[in-house]
Amino acid sequence: MYLRSLTLTDFRCLRELSFEPDPEGVTVVTGPNGTGKTSVLEAIAYLATQQSFRGVPRESLVRVGATAAVVRGVAVAGERSVSVDAEVSLATRSRMLVNGQPVRRRSDLDNGVQATVFTPEDTEVVRGGPAARRRFLDDAVALVTPVEAAHIETVERVLRQRAALLKRSHGHVNGDLATTLDVWDQRLAAAGTALSEARERVLSALAPEATETVTQLTGSRTAVGLTYRRSWNGSLEDALAAGRADDLVRGTTLVGPHRDDVELTLDGLAARTHASQGEQRTLALALRLATHRLATHRLATPPVLLLDDVFSELDHHRAASLLATVPPGQTLLTTAVPPPPTVPVAATIVLGQGAAA
Amino acid sequence: MPAFSAPVQNLVDELGRLPGIGPKSAQRIAFHLLKVPSEDALRLAQAIVAVKERVTFCPRCFNVAEGDLCIVCADDRRDPSVVCVVEDPRDVVAVEKTGGFSGRYHVLQGALSPIDGIGPDQLKIGELIARIEPEGISEVILCTNPNLEGEATAAYLARLLQPLGVRVTRIASGLPVGGDLEYADEVTLGRALEGRRVVESAAPAQTRPARADQG
Repeated sequence: MYLRSLTLTDFRCLRELSFEPDPEGVTVVTGPNGTGKTSVLEAIAYLATQQSFRGVPRESLVRVGATAAVVRGVAVAGERSVSVDAEVSLATRSRMLVNGQPVRRRSDLDNGVQATVFTPEDTEVVRGGPAARRRFLDDAVALVTPVEAAHIETVERVLRQRAALLKRSHGHVNGDLATTLDVWDQRLAAAGTALSEARERVLSALAPEATETVTQLTGSRTAVGLTYRRSWNGSLEDALAAGRADDLVRGTTLVGPHRDDVELTLDGLAARTHASQGEQRTLALALRLATHRLATHRLATPPVLLLDDVFSELDHHRAASLLATVPPGQTLLTTAVPPPPTVPVAATIVLGQGAAA
Repeated sequence: MPAFSAPVQNLVDELGRLPGIGPKSAQRIAFHLLKVPSEDALRLAQAIVAVKERVTFCPRCFNVAEGDLCIVCADDRRDPSVVCVVEDPRDVVAVEKTGGFSGRYHVLQGALSPIDGIGPDQLKIGELIARIEPEGISEVILCTNPNLEGEATAAYLARLLQPLGVRVTRIASGLPVGGDLEYADEVTLGRALEGRRVVESAAPAQTRPARADQG
């Protein structure tokens, strides 16, 4: 699918912006720092997910001094065009309309805008703690196997309920509490095992794609290893039972999908400790692009590819390979510096004068 | 400085405590009540007083009742051996509307939710267990909501009830009748697929001659 037009009103620092990105090529969003380049990508991603990819509350999307931010987009897939309108209001509830109809659940957005986002913060997936890798993986699960995404929320809710129960117990277990804990453990074991299995399936689909992408980006054959590390052995229900005494003392659940991790390797060496910064960035980008390919496969049409500040992350050679690597489809990228001459720019949006060029 | 005089502010505050009523709605209702004739407003007040004075909970099943037993427990045509366990009196109304259940109820008055401080002791669970033997209950239908807390409550009850030798069943989940598949959410449709059944090819024998007649 592609985004035919985008209109922003009072979104972040952008008072008013309206433009039509190139349908199938690269649209470059440029301008000095602080003019809202990333905000343009953030707005498109908001139409896709109803969330900011910067992980901030919705209210911060509203321009300071304004009362509501509005994002309007028209998505085109095949012969079908779908309007997606989002309003983030400080006074009333935020709302979202697809073809004028209110969005009630996540799948209502399926016919609208789909997007893959890469930002400089993605390097955390390689360099940072396990939470960043779990978040990346859960994004990928939601994108590639949306049915499994329900487990993500179930696990979070059971963990909150279980934590409340553990804290309430003050470390003492009577028969009643033990039975209640059993019941929550059963829920956690079912949803947790399903989530870990979904993540493992996505990882094994991602690995060959990531290997291919890294190889194309670097120009030399590099094997990407993605190994899921569960925080338990055997059945999760048994592990929860075995860890119960510890959990009661600590007031939190110590095993489960929320403690799992992914080991990333490049040619067998741990990327977190052995790869250079450049290699880590390349791997992070390759992981996103691999998800993009899987999503393209599932949707039978590429999502809009949003690349934030990608040239500051890569040298010219890799930047050029990057655009040769991505599957054909609409791409929007931001840059403060002129893009390398090898990049086939189809359209340019210059920010900074408060209007689009 | 308060925006309204004390009685108005009190009314707004009290209305704002009701479920589903936000501060704006509370204000709107309060000013509506100020505007309508006294007798209309007093009728509402009296209805609230009447409900609190006359309506109690059934001592057997904890459904709402007027006087002693609730309307279901007081009906001796109901089958005492089957009990349908629900979270809330509103769920009794919902099941009653089906007309497909002829047993009695047990209202838990909530579902397990440690976050909200609701454990087994806050629910009418002990009271349910105490009913099994004296009433000769042979089947308990767990009819709690199909969400996380409702499922946990059902699982908890199943653990307590199974050792007592009663048949414990759980309502099925699946697609709403009369709906379209394409409007079903993924989770519901997934559950409906899991709970699929073999179609009985039970074409009754007497339909054959009928078709032969047509042909």
